[in-house]
Amino acid sequence: MMSSLKIVFSGPVGAGKTTAIGAISDAAPVSTNEQASDMTRQRKSETTVALDYGVMQLDSEEKIHLYGTPGQERFNFMWDILANGGIGLVLLLDNTRKDPLTDMAFFIDSFRDYISQTALAIGVTQTDLKAMPRLDIYNTKLREMKMSAAVFEVDARERNDVSLLVQSLLFTIDPGLEY
Amino acid sequence: MRDDMLSSILSELNGTSADIEASAVISIDGLMIASMLPQGMDEDRVGAMSAAMLSLGGRTADELGRGELEQVLIKADDGFVLMTNAGKDAVVTVMAKPKAKLGLIFLDVKRAADNIEQIL
Repeated sequence: MMSSLKIVFSGPVGAGKTTAIGAISDAAPVSTNEQASDMTRQRKSETTVALDYGVMQLDSEEKIHLYGTPGQERFNFMWDILANGGIGLVLLLDNTRKDPLTDMAFFIDSFRDYISQTALAIGVTQTDLKAMPRLDIYNTKLREMKMSAAVFEVDARERNDVSLLVQSLLFTIDPGLEY
Repeated sequence: MRDDMLSSILSELNGTSADIEASAVISIDGLMIASMLPQGMDEDRVGAMSAAMLSLGGRTADELGRGELEQVLIKADDGFVLMTNAGKDAVVTVMAKPKAKLGLIFLDVKRAADNIEQIL
């Protein structure tokens, strides 16, 4: 019986990982935001340096633990630590970054072993600020990489958007699971 | 100028005790500001790990009602890693030998952290 599940949110700096976990967590989220001093500073003032944590109650018995990773590659040791024991990956991509398709390929490669044993769902954020590339381009790239994953446009601030993404991930894992 | 001053503080710190093997000043988001590390030690890793540990330590201290974090200590077979806040913007990380006299090192690191805070 799955009574305690864990999923991981990852993706590049500024994609909305901390915001997304804050948006869907049923308990006050734990975050480790610190003032940014690197290139990140041009996009936002604070950045995650260890993890984000939130919890989503599915029903009275089942809950999902949500772990968010830092985005910068120098923190990739945290990616392994946080992914351990998880059942899926939510990959958030920021459409306004220079090359979000390369970001996607990079994170899929970084989590390749994990994804091969679990599941992947992709949320593209900031599409209201920059519409291109469109979702079909992401899908084409995924096919080239021989990956299968649902891809959605999401607003990381919107509980419903993030929830849809998580539900689609859970559905990939277990089509019988109801939310 | 600032870098020279930080380097001299670290060099003095490493000199205070033969038990201190390495030290570094790191921004709280994990970037190296100044370091006296052995060859082959990856600056980016030391920086990122220090920032992650200190931030988690701070959250833990806060959530468990222990107040403001001062330092995080890691004890392992082959020695210690000590991470200490140097003001709001930086961390001093020190690596010491397994038999190091920690009390003295705490004092020396605290003094160095205070000096670093003044400079930054």
